[in-house]
Amino acid sequence: MASRGKSLIGKVPLVILQLAIAFLVLAPFFWMLSVSLKPANEPFAIPARLWPDNPTLENYILAFRPEFRRYFLNSIIVSGATVLITVPLALLAAYSLTRYQFRILSVFLAAVILAQFFPAGAMIIPIYKMVKAANLLDTYASLIIAYITVTLPVAIWMLRGFLTRVPKTLEEAAAIDGARPLRAFFDIVIPLARPGIVATTVFVLIVTWQEFLFALSFTSTKEMRTLPVGMNDYIGQYGIRYGELMASSVMVSLPVIVIFFFLQRQFVSGLTAGAVKG
Amino acid sequence: MWIAYGFMLPAAILVAVLMYWPMIDTFRESLYATTFLNPNPTFIGLKTYEQLFGDSTFWQIVRNSIIWTIGVVFLQNVGGFLIALLLNQKLPGQGILRSLILLPWVLPGVVAAILWRFMYDPQLGLINSFFMRLGIVEHGVGWLAEPSTAMAAVIFAAFWKGFPFSTVVFLAALQNVDQEQVEAAKIDGAGSLRRLFDVVIPAIWPVAVVNVLLTTILTFNYFDIICVLTRGGPLNATAIFPTRIYEVGFGQFKFGEAAAYGSLSVLVLVLFVGLLLLVQRRQVKAA
Repeated sequence: MASRGKSLIGKVPLVILQLAIAFLVLAPFFWMLSVSLKPANEPFAIPARLWPDNPTLENYILAFRPEFRRYFLNSIIVSGATVLITVPLALLAAYSLTRYQFRILSVFLAAVILAQFFPAGAMIIPIYKMVKAANLLDTYASLIIAYITVTLPVAIWMLRGFLTRVPKTLEEAAAIDGARPLRAFFDIVIPLARPGIVATTVFVLIVTWQEFLFALSFTSTKEMRTLPVGMNDYIGQYGIRYGELMASSVMVSLPVIVIFFFLQRQFVSGLTAGAVKG
Repeated sequence: MWIAYGFMLPAAILVAVLMYWPMIDTFRESLYATTFLNPNPTFIGLKTYEQLFGDSTFWQIVRNSIIWTIGVVFLQNVGGFLIALLLNQKLPGQGILRSLILLPWVLPGVVAAILWRFMYDPQLGLINSFFMRLGIVEHGVGWLAEPSTAMAAVIFAAFWKGFPFSTVVFLAALQNVDQEQVEAAKIDGAGSLRRLFDVVIPAIWPVAVVNVLLTTILTFNYFDIICVLTRGGPLNATAIFPTRIYEVGFGQFKFGEAAAYGSLSVLVLVLFVGLLLLVQRRQVKAA
């Protein structure tokens, strides 16, 4: 009893430290929400007020203007298309990497691992020229092409980690029963790898939803800009209309935050599996 | 049999065409001079590199890139590890914090940067308002506008955005540490610090190495935070390779020079990572 009480008291500094970390993580979010709910004149109270006296949604209504909706749509299209291309291709490649042992496959695996480390800044000029030569500048296609380079190697790497843990015995049993290899892939491997597919999809979505460098360089008209580029434009345009800027920040972040919280468990296990098991 | 090749082929072609070809082409491009006024490339050999090596801006970019990378990687991993240790203590309220902690990492980089731009604002920012209330400063400080504080400010913002990733990976590693060994050390009379250094840290060391390498590469190439917070300024005080490549390539349309910066960024990154691995191996041998 005595030792228990002592250990609880000993934990007080740790709990305080934990609160400090929670504060560090959450303070900027709190500030974003608070400013986004302030009526137009309140952000300028000095020193700043922590929470608005009269919270209002007017900033959200103002910020959800036609061009913002356009950016939103563009981001959904580009991220969605990238997921639809990258994840299936990565799944096929990962399957072949985990089920067969040819020398060329280990060369390919090494090439994929190495490619993860290529700096986007070092590849951007040639990709830009390629896209320009194909007359694709300022199109969805240009961004989807760029985003495949950003996501494909990591997706292969993540899915490979998952597929090595899907036992081969089930496929072998199916083969003995006379199932064709392709059938075994669709009926057995894909359902078993579903957590990995979900985790990889979330990862690709998070990466493409926030990609900035390629989107900034490859789009020139407002019609084609994605949310991060649009937000970057807003910094200048909005001038001192911080309420609207913060309201759009909340709206940009919400989709990924919601998706993330629903699929968190699978996602974190997928992420750490690769890193922890090396 | 055909599955092995057929399944691999589409991804292999994309990786080759969209990644390996551009990596090689960047170097070729850097041997040509292309400017906005003269869009037809003319071959000039290694002249661009010669110019860059004589240019103090280039060396500033190298120095900034290294300071930025070391700063962010150090904070992210040491901070991330300490926070993981704390979250591994089974304290009340930890479940919620463990889910909330990944929030900054999920937040889009541009949004995180806008948030911090606002946090650092001399008049309206939360940081200055906090310091002013405590009476530490009298007037708001322009953290991002002063060459002396700008680098520290962008490093801290990047730390905030990135540390959750390290924390989550370290937490997973800590939960894999063999508890019997920890107990055995306890019975041998090792205090908690001793247990940390003799049992826990050696057990998670491989994960730490992977984590440091990963964050080094990601940080070295990270564009969003600096671009939105300072655009590389003031006076290039926060300019690193990616922001410089964007500025030279798409601001001034000097593709050849941008490509040279790109090739050199790969070289600097490789040297940096190589050095890191060397130090790591030395330490393992010494231990």
